Order: sequence, then structure tokens, then C-alpha cells
Amino acid sequence: MNLLTPLEYDYMLKAILVSGLIGAVCAFLSCFITLKGWSLMGDALSHAVVPGVSLAWLAGLPFSLGAFIAGVIAAITMGWLKRKSGLREDAVIGIVFTSWFALGLLLLSLFPSHLNLKTIILGNILAISDPDILQVVVIAGISILVLALKWRDLLLYCFDEAHARSLGMNTSFLHFLLLALLSATAVAALQTVGACLVVAMLVTPGATAYLLTDRFGRMLGMATAIGAGCSVLGAYLSYFINGSTGGCIVVLQTLVFLLALVFAPKHGLLASRRIRRLAASNLA
Amino acid sequence: MILSLEASSVTVAYPNGHTALRDATFKLGAGTIAALVGINGSGKSTLFKALMGFVKPVKGQIHIAGLSVEQARKQKLVAYVPQSEEVDWTFPVSVWDVVMMGRYGHMNFLRIPSAEDKRVVSESLERVGMKEYQERQIGELSGGQKKRVFLARALAQSGQIILLDEPFTGVDVTTEEAIIALLRTLRDEGRIILVSTHNLGSVPEFCDQVVLVNRTVLASGPLEEVFTEQNLRQAFGGALRQFHFEHSTIQDHDGKTVKLLTDDERPLVFGKDGHLEYKDRSGREDLVNKRKEEVGE
Repeated sequence: MNLLTPLEYDYMLKAILVSGLIGAVCAFLSCFITLKGWSLMGDALSHAVVPGVSLAWLAGLPFSLGAFIAGVIAAITMGWLKRKSGLREDAVIGIVFTSWFALGLLLLSLFPSHLNLKTIILGNILAISDPDILQVVVIAGISILVLALKWRDLLLYCFDEAHARSLGMNTSFLHFLLLALLSATAVAALQTVGACLVVAMLVTPGATAYLLTDRFGRMLGMATAIGAGCSVLGAYLSYFINGSTGGCIVVLQTLVFLLALVFAPKHGLLASRRIRRLAASNLA
Repeated sequence: MILSLEASSVTVAYPNGHTALRDATFKLGAGTIAALVGINGSGKSTLFKALMGFVKPVKGQIHIAGLSVEQARKQKLVAYVPQSEEVDWTFPVSVWDVVMMGRYGHMNFLRIPSAEDKRVVSESLERVGMKEYQERQIGELSGGQKKRVFLARALAQSGQIILLDEPFTGVDVTTEEAIIALLRTLRDEGRIILVSTHNLGSVPEFCDQVVLVNRTVLASGPLEEVFTEQNLRQAFGGALRQFHFEHSTIQDHDGKTVKLLTDDERPLVFGKDGHLEYKDRSGREDLVNKRKEEVGE
């Protein structure tokens, strides 16, 4: 077996590169999502984008535009419903994302689009078409640009919203910006790992990096490296084991997370055990 | 620019129809530490929000150095030191990072710190005595250290009006005294410090002005005039506990001294005829002399 075989196939090369790009963007954003406590929101938006795919196909628009708009509308609906109904946030998210996802399933079964149901839900990066690659690259590029320019403002917004406001920052805009980025990256990741697993790409790398460092700058770097690395490696390995690419990527990310959970120098399970022992022996 | 803080007939109502503050009027001049005193729900935090421009008064006006709240914010005049509970301390940011956030308003679009920003942050940390902790993750700090970091952030922001929300809750006595000493030097630089508190006993120790609130401003002005038993009773209603030392408690054989212990908050003690008793007498020599004259010593 030749280790370079996958790279000789055009479709594999594309899959590996696109996965790496999406993995990097999702991971960068995951740092904000985990710190802001929006993991559930990420899950919700990745499902809520589905009806947009179908409607965009019917309207003859790029699928990502439809999906993005659907995600943003879902996010606005959640905010509105929470304010008006007085229900708890998890209930609101549960209601909105399942109804949007159900609508998506219904539309896709009635009006088949260029992406079939299985691709949208489970992902199929190996069969991604060139126009779709272009869409993904454009979304990822814009997201990276916005994040690179505005990450400090977003960090302050997540950390201390009142202070951000008192400095005259537009916190409603930053809130919306973060939601829009979340929708956009969920759309970009749709074809790689599918709606069901997008949330893993949007949470796991950030959570892993959080265990490994106490500095936000380093957290961004580590998460991005983990996200991109696992995605590239996962897509590459899926060729050999002939398994689902999305599954491969997310399993790898989870493995890295588990390693960090046990062995992280300061916040890992072993480290806290060591600290407890040390404290106990100091007492004795 | 002459620094001042002026609220005239400020009324704040929330969208749910609740009027948190009605016709609040007070004025503070440059170089003062003012206590904003009232029970929970009396409108202290609403007043802070109005001063920061988070809520717009439905009636009345606020002027900061003669400017509107919006203009004052653009000039970065107002800095806010929040209560510790308002922030997530598990965030992966260092003491240095947090104080640097105070400089964001002075930075360009990309928020890349200049040499000047770094100098100011370093100096601010030095002033609150937190320089050697600058690399710490913020969750590893004690309650008092957290407070000092926020104070450093307000300094880095170069705020001329500093709003402090309950600065002494969860703070040990040494830190409390360090914070008070710092507030005094800030006052002497001409800044206006407005401290929201329900800890009555600490007020005479470091404040020179008082604004008493209970859904409106009941009274405001110099400490000795406003901080009277009668006004406090009005502000606190039944929520004020009191303990009278009857004349018989203080016998000659006690050497005319009694000891008063409290767990956390400082007690507020009024002498005969309602004059304030101060624990810290430095800078109040004239008062001490006056009392001596009264008893003919």
C-alpha cells in the first residue's frame, strides 16, 4: 500500500484541502462559541440551515446563500421567541431548530435538490462539485478575514459585554456578527461532515485548546491547528479505511480532546490529581 | 474642561413599565469621592446605567463635564468598575489582557496596542499594586485582587469619572484600605469617584460627598450634612438595623470605651446629637480639637 495513493486522485486531494480549510475556520470560531456558551446554538444553526438549501435550489440561487439566510432567520426567531414567550433558552432552541430541520427534511423529500438528503445530513466531501468548492472557499475566506480583523472586539464582547458597551462598541452588532459567522461556517461545513456533526467542528477544537492554555491568543492558534490537522488527516485516512470522511474527522478530533482531557499540563485530569496530592502532602 | 457630573430630574422607566428612578437630581464637582447609598432595588444600578448611557432617561438630563452622556463616552470620560460576579473568571485571559481591554477605546480599528498603550497598562497595574501578577490567569486571583484589576482597567481607560459598583464586597480589610488609599489619590488628581454601596460604615471613612437614593435622590451633598440618622432612616426604612448604646452602657469604670464587633461590614456610629464618629482621624484634627474644646480640655 502506497501512502501517497490518495493524493494521486483529484477528488481526494480536493477533499483533503477543502476539509482542512473548513476545519481551520470552524476551529477558530469554536474558541468564541465555547467561551460564550453557544455550543447548543451551533448545533441548532447547523440543523436550521437545511431548508435554505432546498429553497435556494428551487429559486436557482447558490445553496450556501439560501442556507446562510435560513440560519440567520432561525437565530433571529430564537431571540424573538425567547423575549416574547419567556421560555428558557434551551426550550426555545429545541423548538426552533427541530421545526426548521423538519421543514428542511420535508422540502428536500418533496423537491429533490442537487444535494441529496444523505449528503446534507451526513456530509459527502468526496463528491463535492467545483462550484460548491468555490462557495465554500468564499465563505471561509470572508469568515477568516472578519475574524482576523475583529477577534479582539469579539473577545471583549464575550468576556465583558457591559465594558464593551461602555467603550461605545456596538454590542448588538457584535452579537449579530458572531451569529452570522456561526451560520456561515455551519453552511461551509455542511458538505464535509453533514448537519449532524457540524457542531463537533464548532466546539471540540475550542474545548480542547481551552484545556491546554490560559491565553486566548494561544487558544486560537492551537484550536485552529487541531481543527485543520484533524480534518486533513481524517480526510486522508478515510481513503484507507474506506469509511465516512465526516466520521473520521470528528473521531480524530474527539481523540485529541480526550488526550488533552487526561494529559493537559495544567487543567488535565492527571495534573489536577497531582495538584491534589501535592496539597495533601503539604498538609501532612 | 471643568469636570462635573450633573443629573437633573432624571426619570428612568424600563420597557416593562417599571419606573426605577424618578426625578433624580444631584451635582458633583471635580475632585470628590461620592457614595451612592441605598438599599437593593433603590435605583443605584439604574443610575449607573443611565450615567453610562445604557438606558436613556424618559425625562430629565445628565451632563458630564457639560457634555451629553454620548459625547462623554466618545471622550472616554466615564469608566466603570463592575462587581466581580458580572464577569466569567474562567476566561483564558491574563491580568495584563484585561487591563489592556481598558485601552480599546483609544486604539484603532484593529485594536493593536501601541507602545503608549503598553506604558499606560503597565503604569495602571503598578498603581493598584498588581504588576507582579500581570501574567496570571484572572481566575487565579483573590476577590480583592480581582477588584484591583478592574480598577486598573478603569485607570488604563483614563476615565475621569470612575463608577465603582460595591467595591468592598468579598474584599479583605487590607485590600479595602489599599483601594481607599488609591481612590484618595485619584480624587486628589481631580477625578470624580462615585461609589455605589450599601455598606454604611465605610462611607464616612473615605467619602466626602453622599448621594442618598430610594427610587429618587432623597438628599445629596457633603457627608456631614447628608449622612444623618434621619436621612438614612428615610433611605433605608425598616431595612436598617440599629443598636443604641444607652448611656448606662458606657460607664466610667469602662474607661468610657465600648468595643463593637461586626463580621464583614463596617459599623456606622453616630455620637451624641448625631455627629459622625470616625475611625480614621488623620486629616480630621480640627474636628478632634473642636470636641476637645467642647469638653473644656
